[in-house]
Amino acid sequence: MLKATGLKYRYQYGNTIQFPEIEIERGQRLLISGFSGCGKTTLLSLIAGTLKLQDGDITFDKHEYSKMSSILLDKFRADHIGYIFQTLNLIPFLSVSENIALGIKFSSTRKSKVNDLSQEVVRLITSLGLEEEILNTPIDHLSVGQQQRAAVARALLGMPDLILADEPTSALDNDTTKKFLREVMNTFDPSHQAIIMVSHDLSIASYFDTVIDFNKHNA
Amino acid sequence: MLSLLLKSIRSRIIPTSLVTISLMASMVLLLSIERIQQGAEEGFNQSISGVDAIIGPRSSSLELVLYTVFHIGRPTNNITTKTIDDIRQRNDIDWIVPIALGDSHKDFRVVATESNYFEHIKYANNKSLTLSKGKVFSDLSEVVLGADVAEKLNYIVGSKIQITHGSTESTSNKHDDFLFEISGILNKTGTPIDQAVFLDLKGYELLHLGWKSGRKVFSLDKIDLSTIPKEDLNPKTLTAAFVGLKSKLTLFNFTKSIREYPNEAISAVIPGIALSELWSIVGLVDKGFQLLSWIIIAISLIAMITLIIASLENRKHEMTIYRANGASPRFLSGMVVYEALFIGLVAIFGAIILVSIVTYFATSQLNSTLGISPAFKWISFGEVKVFSIILLAGVLSSLIPAIMVFRKNLHQTLN
Repeated sequence: MLKATGLKYRYQYGNTIQFPEIEIERGQRLLISGFSGCGKTTLLSLIAGTLKLQDGDITFDKHEYSKMSSILLDKFRADHIGYIFQTLNLIPFLSVSENIALGIKFSSTRKSKVNDLSQEVVRLITSLGLEEEILNTPIDHLSVGQQQRAAVARALLGMPDLILADEPTSALDNDTTKKFLREVMNTFDPSHQAIIMVSHDLSIASYFDTVIDFNKHNA
Repeated sequence: MLSLLLKSIRSRIIPTSLVTISLMASMVLLLSIERIQQGAEEGFNQSISGVDAIIGPRSSSLELVLYTVFHIGRPTNNITTKTIDDIRQRNDIDWIVPIALGDSHKDFRVVATESNYFEHIKYANNKSLTLSKGKVFSDLSEVVLGADVAEKLNYIVGSKIQITHGSTESTSNKHDDFLFEISGILNKTGTPIDQAVFLDLKGYELLHLGWKSGRKVFSLDKIDLSTIPKEDLNPKTLTAAFVGLKSKLTLFNFTKSIREYPNEAISAVIPGIALSELWSIVGLVDKGFQLLSWIIIAISLIAMITLIIASLENRKHEMTIYRANGASPRFLSGMVVYEALFIGLVAIFGAIILVSIVTYFATSQLNSTLGISPAFKWISFGEVKVFSIILLAGVLSSLIPAIMVFRKNLHQTLN
């Protein structure tokens, strides 16, 4: 489904980072591990298409990023990729359901996969262990774990092909992390979707099929 | 985008409202100046109405209008009654109202004229002078007061007043040998008529029977007024005369032939033209105010852009989430431009509503205190143009933060 080869990124301040080759198929769960500042978020931004490729190429279902304009990449991201941040995943002035609905706001393809939006939102949040009442709770009344689950629901809404998650468990304690990952993996549909998560925490490796350790790669 | 934008603005309601209010206040200022200026100009140009020409001694048209209409300054010369009588005989004349100026009452100018003054001299849009109390003078000892004179001096019909020789009040130059009785008080017009005292030309002449070269030679007390021959009370000289023509088409020929009058150096001015000339001088102050309000609008627009730029850092998180979900940099910069457009539109509509409501309720007050009657209207074509310029300026200046957002998000990591 996705193949990234020869990726190299030169930062403005001169440091250059070379990424390992990455290949992922539908149903696959990939964990990229590494210390802070090793370029994990940069790699996710390159795969998401918000950061322009400098060297190398990414091919996603035969679409070559290097041949796509930034407008096409934005549309491609909206249609095919769901994104989960480390923290601050939700927009405070929107309700939980509006935050989740953002996942399909910019994509007609993902919108077409959702028959009844409110029903689908409820299905996703209950599958992720949240109560339905949470949809009307102000964002600042939610715990970090609840916010992360709402963000996962947004990333999964409209069945995107690839879920990118940037350290989503970093603010969670051990027990919550395990529960969170269990629920995410249960909700994620392996027949259509793949997931790439970056984390500095190798203890969660058991939830993934493949692990790439940046520390070893860059060593 | 609109619903996201409105919710985002609502989350920053206090700073956004303050900027909108400051922009609205500056537009209210501009709109008020514009409308008061229009009202004042209209009022000014209609200080006198129904008069086709003013005849006076040859001088500049501005000077003639200043002392005949606004009672400001004094004539350098008079014209003879014979000349006025000659003109009265012309076929193209419908009516003529002579006036004599020079005296005053407690700093209010005296206008000596004929009783047909009140019939022919109009104000504003051809409105006739009307009396709030009493009647027009019918005897040489009667006077009619302008509304302000009666109000400020607390006069009522039947009160007796003395006239002062010249325009400065002093005991030595009072016509204290003759008392006039107030026969009527005019309604407010918002023109210099409100500040004038009107009396009969014959009464005016009577006052000056005992005067020579500005000094009193003998007092009227010592004379039996009934023994004065009537023709002695006919004025020998006049200050000016208001003229109504039978046909407006003859106006330019009339003024030309007056200028060429062989027996005396006289001229005729068309009040509308002279008043416009005068306004172009007086109106400079108003242009200054207009410039000031444009400067205030520019400052408010700068404040708006500053607010948007300042809020971008706080909105980085919001923008990154949009971006991750597929929003393009163009969408994000579009939100910034629409925000400026939204603030501009709210400020414009707020200003229009506020000014229209104030105009509606304050018109009568402005009219009675300043003689300005701003016309009630929601918006004029000229104002639409002004607002379009402001809106365009606002949107164009919002391109600065919009470009900042675009560039920042074009190649931005999602953290």
